[in-house]
Amino acid sequence: MRGASIRLVDITKRFRSVVAVDRVNLEVDRGEFIVLLGPSGCGKTTTLRIIAGLETPDEGRVYIGDVDVTDLEPGERDVAMVFQDYAIYPHMTVFDNIAFPLTVKARKLRLTKKDIEERVVRVAKMLGIDHLLDRKATQLSGGQQQRVAVARALVREPKVWLMDEPLSNLDALIRLQVRAELKKLQKDLGITTVYVTHDQTEALSLADRIAVMNKGRVIQLGPPQEIYDDPKHVFVATFVGTPPMNIIECRVGEVVECPGLKRRLPGDRLKGLNKVYLGIRPEYMEVVDEKEGDLEGVVYVVEPLGSERIINVRIDDTLIKVRTTQELTLQPGDRIYLRVNWKKAVFFDPSTEQALGKLLAATS
Amino acid sequence: MKRRYLIRVVALNIAVWALALVWALPFVGILMISVMPYQEVITKGWLRIPSLDTLTLKNYIEALTNPLYDLATGFRNSVVVATVSTLIPLFAAALAAYAFANLDFRLKPLLFALIIALMMIPQQLIVVPLFFLYRSLGIYDTLQGMILLHSAWGIAWATFFLRNYLKFIPRSLIEAARVDGASDFKIFRRVVMPLAVPGLIAAAVLQFTWVWNDLFYALVFLVSRENQLVTQKVVTLKGEFHVDWGLLAAGSVITMSMPLILYVVFNKYFMKGVAGWGVKR
Amino acid sequence: MALSRGLRPALFLSFPLSLIAVFVLYPMVATVFYSFYDKETGSFSLNNYIDVLLSAHPLYMLVAQSFGPTPPWGALIHNLVWVALHVPLVTLLGLVLAFLLKYYVKGSTLVKAILFLGIVIPPAVGGLIIRFMFDNVVGVAPTVFSYLGVEELSKTWTAYPQTALFALILGSVWIWSGFAVTIFSAALESIPKSHVEAAKVFGASMWHIFSRVIVPQLKPAVIIVVVMTVLWDMKIFDIVYASTGGGPGGSTNVLALVMYTYFARALDFYKSAAVAVLLTLIAAPFIALVVRWLRE
Repeated sequence: MRGASIRLVDITKRFRSVVAVDRVNLEVDRGEFIVLLGPSGCGKTTTLRIIAGLETPDEGRVYIGDVDVTDLEPGERDVAMVFQDYAIYPHMTVFDNIAFPLTVKARKLRLTKKDIEERVVRVAKMLGIDHLLDRKATQLSGGQQQRVAVARALVREPKVWLMDEPLSNLDALIRLQVRAELKKLQKDLGITTVYVTHDQTEALSLADRIAVMNKGRVIQLGPPQEIYDDPKHVFVATFVGTPPMNIIECRVGEVVECPGLKRRLPGDRLKGLNKVYLGIRPEYMEVVDEKEGDLEGVVYVVEPLGSERIINVRIDDTLIKVRTTQELTLQPGDRIYLRVNWKKAVFFDPSTEQALGKLLAATS
Repeated sequence: MKRRYLIRVVALNIAVWALALVWALPFVGILMISVMPYQEVITKGWLRIPSLDTLTLKNYIEALTNPLYDLATGFRNSVVVATVSTLIPLFAAALAAYAFANLDFRLKPLLFALIIALMMIPQQLIVVPLFFLYRSLGIYDTLQGMILLHSAWGIAWATFFLRNYLKFIPRSLIEAARVDGASDFKIFRRVVMPLAVPGLIAAAVLQFTWVWNDLFYALVFLVSRENQLVTQKVVTLKGEFHVDWGLLAAGSVITMSMPLILYVVFNKYFMKGVAGWGVKR
Repeated sequence: MALSRGLRPALFLSFPLSLIAVFVLYPMVATVFYSFYDKETGSFSLNNYIDVLLSAHPLYMLVAQSFGPTPPWGALIHNLVWVALHVPLVTLLGLVLAFLLKYYVKGSTLVKAILFLGIVIPPAVGGLIIRFMFDNVVGVAPTVFSYLGVEELSKTWTAYPQTALFALILGSVWIWSGFAVTIFSAALESIPKSHVEAAKVFGASMWHIFSRVIVPQLKPAVIIVVVMTVLWDMKIFDIVYASTGGGPGGSTNVLALVMYTYFARALDFYKSAAVAVLLTLIAAPFIALVVRWLRE
């Protein structure tokens, strides 16, 4: 099975006065796993439904494999969809559920009962649910229902796979398991997949590329590592990463002055700005002695996480988080000194919230 | 403290149960009088354990077979009219309800509001023109005419009722079927209707009862003895000056037997059906 | 490609809607036309309405010329009295019973089932039962009052103009309360148990819980019960026809019955259409309320 490419050109969708999707352009390569990531209401689900044909865009065109499908019914686009609540038909058996897409189109596709049975069993085996085929759909656990939904989406051998937060209703443990299996399955079958989620861990682990969306727009599109280390917007920087990137407001003069910063940073690249945001992720800082520290602050509270801990540090009136595996005994109120990995620091323009780039030259 | 609370709870229970008994009293009375000889009712009253040797079914036989009253024919006619007037609207309303629940079309809000309004108008508002129409079409005083009328009326409220019921079916089930390429009719038949069975049963039970219980339309549109329904026949049992209570009671029991049987068997569906009116989704 | 998006609704709707158009819509509109048709002059005017409203004949009277202390007061007035008495009684009874049945009384399902019987039986039979209950020989109410020593009320209520209407109204409380209790019981299900429990922990009395916690949250249900009951009272026909036929002396006449009398007895179809329109006009604001409420 080989997937098809997808192209969204200037897609806009309005609901009454709200612009849910705002001139979205997207190109997905054949066989690629792309994740639409963003908070609720950002337009990711609507975009997915536009690809499926469940919503019609007010402006723009949708192409699947170079064919303009914008005016086609969902059933004519050769896409398969897995819904957040699985949409398993409760009154049918697992077998009938998986076979449904085929029985509905049996005549058109010239399938005999035997053909259908073969394909259903094959797909069920692939997902390890062939022993459940006779059960009524309501007798399954959440994880099993999810696999049935995936099986139903596969049995047609579609060109495109669409998934709307398929893991969010699962228990945390099962979720991790299924996540890994989903990724392997997609890689083996090579179906182009568009996956919607608000969980950034999921996005980072599954995607070939992530499209971070907010308020109907794609803020940034890129591979996970790029999204993580090279955010182009404060929104992306703070939405991705647990805990999110620390944003510290600094003054710009001859040099850049940040609260608690014991070093001066060259301010030559930041001409024309009074203020700048310094962004540094919690795991890119280290607790050190006073001599080696870049930042100085006071411990506010420590959150132990087993093998790591999150230290909340108060610097003037800002609160930043540090994530470290170092084993330390710290009390609220202690003075603390942090060394920053300057290679990973990002600057943002406070007025546009867009990234200005990394601080390339590490100062000494 | 606890003791005072308990006393109050017990008192409330007794009060409510007493009320329930009072509520049931009329039914008990009717039942008793229908099987006791009238003399006994007058001299000894009916609120007692009946003496088994004087119980009689005379009143029932009289009500059913006496050509003056002829409740048997009425009963039969009511069964026919109510049954067919349930099947037709249920089928038609299921289709319409599906359209209102799952399809989008520009006139939808207007048409839906119209259906709700039509549900609520008085029966009196439509009989005069239909009277003329039926006469000219030759279906006046026929069971077919009644069936058509009740079916049309039933479609209106059943559409509203079923549409609300169908709204509870998760949208994603229907969308999944659409993405898999099923046509609307296939979705209607294979996905929506099987899940709508409880709603269909409730609608059927309510519609049957409504048609069976009707008096006004029957009075207007059915005149000849062979065609009259049981409700209009039973009211003739009440004489102008002298009331034969035994006869009247038996006739009443016969007439309400059908809805009561349905109520006992389909109790849950009745209650849920009516309750649905008050709870907004 | 399958049927265009526009055709699909038409396929599902054509049969149902056409039946409705012929048997409901057309007659509705036609009735209004007929109501203006003056049989005697062969022209359209308000004469039917004038005649109908001003008629003083006990069988047809809508509004009495003068109001004594007891009925007959005219069919229209009787309907209004019915609403004025029946609606508050049924609503209050329904609220109190639903509340007690949910939180304090055991075996509430059976009680609710008994109360509900009233709306299961044909209203015509309901009318016969009411006639029976208020009869001074076999009925219950007169006997009770004779024990209490109230002379006036130990006669057959439905035989005297002073009491007939009220017998029917009380009887309709017996019939219709089950509706209110069912609606309110269903609405109570959506009030979280924690609200009541919290109030108990705060030391609220039963009355407080009822009036301050429960009833305010039942406002939508109260509205629907009130409106539906008003409509039912305005349209009432079967009960009256079966028990008293509008008498004695027109003291239990109601709008729907007057419409029927014009139709079946006077054979004056056009006046009966006028009465039907009047009835609908009075019910119209409540119908509008229901439409707005049910439209979501």
